[in-house]
Amino acid sequence: MRAPRIYNVVYAAATYAIMIFALWGVFVYVPTEQVQGIVQRIFYFHVSSAFTMFLAFFVVFVASILYLWKRLAWWDHIAASAAEIGVVFCTLVLITGPIWARPIWGTWWSWDPTLTLTLVLWLIYVAYLMLRVGAYDERRARFAAVLGIIGFIDVPIIRWSVEKWRTIHPKPVVIQEGGTTGLPSSMLFTFLICLAAFVFLFSYLIRERVSLAQSQHELERLRHDLDISLLR
Amino acid sequence: MFMRQVAAIFMKDLKSEWRTREIFTSMLVFAVLVVVVFNFAIGADSELIRQVAPGVLWVALLFATVLGLQRAAQMEHEDDCLSGVLLTMGDRSALFIAKTAGNMLYLLLITLCTLPLFSIWFRINILSHIAPLSVVLLLGMLGFSIIGTLFSIITLNTRTREIMLPLLFLPISVPLTIASVYATANLIVGKGLSDITDYLTLMGVFDIVFLVIALLVFDTIVEE
Amino acid sequence: MVHVDAVTKRFGNVLALRGVSLQLKRGRCLGIFGPNGAGKTTLLKILATLTRPSTGTVSIAGYDTIRQGDKIRPLLGVLSHQTFLYGHLTAIENLQFYGRMFGVKKLPERIAEILCTVSLESHARQLVRTYSRGMRQRLAIARVLLHSPALLLLDEPYTGLDQQAAACVQELLRQFHAADRTIILSTHDIQRGLELCDDVAIQCHGKIVYCSPALGIDSRSFEQLYVDYVR
Repeated sequence: MRAPRIYNVVYAAATYAIMIFALWGVFVYVPTEQVQGIVQRIFYFHVSSAFTMFLAFFVVFVASILYLWKRLAWWDHIAASAAEIGVVFCTLVLITGPIWARPIWGTWWSWDPTLTLTLVLWLIYVAYLMLRVGAYDERRARFAAVLGIIGFIDVPIIRWSVEKWRTIHPKPVVIQEGGTTGLPSSMLFTFLICLAAFVFLFSYLIRERVSLAQSQHELERLRHDLDISLLR
Repeated sequence: MFMRQVAAIFMKDLKSEWRTREIFTSMLVFAVLVVVVFNFAIGADSELIRQVAPGVLWVALLFATVLGLQRAAQMEHEDDCLSGVLLTMGDRSALFIAKTAGNMLYLLLITLCTLPLFSIWFRINILSHIAPLSVVLLLGMLGFSIIGTLFSIITLNTRTREIMLPLLFLPISVPLTIASVYATANLIVGKGLSDITDYLTLMGVFDIVFLVIALLVFDTIVEE
Repeated sequence: MVHVDAVTKRFGNVLALRGVSLQLKRGRCLGIFGPNGAGKTTLLKILATLTRPSTGTVSIAGYDTIRQGDKIRPLLGVLSHQTFLYGHLTAIENLQFYGRMFGVKKLPERIAEILCTVSLESHARQLVRTYSRGMRQRLAIARVLLHSPALLLLDEPYTGLDQQAAACVQELLRQFHAADRTIILSTHDIQRGLELCDDVAIQCHGKIVYCSPALGIDSRSFEQLYVDYVR
């Protein structure tokens, strides 16, 4: 499953390039937004992180199902890697959210539905990672797979309930929640580039992480078989 | 055959618990403690207390549930009885159903015991709303029992099970918590079941979705 | 009756079984000897359908353990290191539970009968947590025999028992064997194992290194054989 070296280098370079392009887009190309000012630029990273986070957890979901079905360690490596990366992007969302919110709404945290959903998801997937601590173990992998499935299926339900809950709580000053509707074309373009960059980053990271997990797994196997053969 | 096995496991758990009554008493005491401490923490403002009352009730029940779940699962851990039981079963979901029913029963019992105290201390007339309230309580408890039982079996052999169980159980149950609390809040101020249909739908969907998933994955969880 | 074909089992990074194959005809008794860590318990667990092999197949009475586990389990009686008994219930209640789970007919009579067989009638209404190790093992055997299984899987049945209890267990197993049932047991007790078994095997580092009928082998020479193989 290991691609030739040159392929990895090209992939890394491409990811790097597209990131630079996105950074240029966000900080140079796109005009400053009228109402929010410079801070609004965080929106591109914030929403892209959120999208990538959901993508990562979706990958965990699919990989978990496939692991339970096929029982191949490879699917478990994918699920674990995607969860790790997902938690990283999740943390980014939780950090960029308040940074954006403070100057705009005057408060660090607003319990807006997506942000709250992200917080709950952070807890769920951190629990997922805690469940997996230690070397690859078939039983633990099965438990994690079950959690990966349950966690993702819960996402729409949590979202629904948090929206209901929020209508009871005082809202901050209403702001367009980073929707792409009503965005002028330059912003839309920048946003899409940024999104593409994050997705590229995600795919690069996951390839590397899965490869690492596979190598670790094989190393442990070889080490153990070596120990056994030395015994005889 | 299937129902007979469900009944056998359920009765066995009940019999065993009856001998010690450990699970029930620790759950009950803990729930009451939570309610009392909250009372002190919130203060004497009766208006404020009435507003947070539904939240306090469900928090107390939730934490007591976590405690009860761990101990209920522990019963099968001693002497590896879980393997013994699994050896008798063709369709393992009977075990899940029996355990969930057991956990739900404990939850129901401590709710019955806690509600009167709750009513007195928070000065809320529960009795007049008892019929619609029971619907909310049952739907909520069913959902918590389903998710709780599933995770209690998963964390049965985990070293850090004391923290893993609440860490897994509570975030996943957030929708149910929200729905239960606000449905209860609405009922207490006199609204009827027709006013809280969206919460009831949420709870119903949660219960059904996760019951189905639990039944599907249970076999893979108990396999060694 | 029992066919094990090239079974391996991996736990994380540990290879517990590395290609185990064996056959056992109906009505015979197989004794597996081996040091701790040889994988005997793992092999028995796989036979009991409690866990799946990583590779290889196992079939019992023509059924595949992975896909048709539910057809095999009613035929099995499994005795493990743990007794699978509920401490807060009495002996009768424990047997009632297992009897109901297996769907044993005429349960009360069967329970009385089996308690007599293992000589526990006088303690039948005591809680199991008050039992000694020997009594628990006897009750565990009662549990195992309750539903009249065709195949007994026993993991170190004599371990932890005093001479009297062990002799009692031996007698029970002999009776079971005489009734033309199949037994597979693992043990460190060479003398008792040879007495009871028709076939013997030695397991070491996850492989069966020796397997043959027990006819004519005496204790001492087998001990020597065992020591040689295990080194």
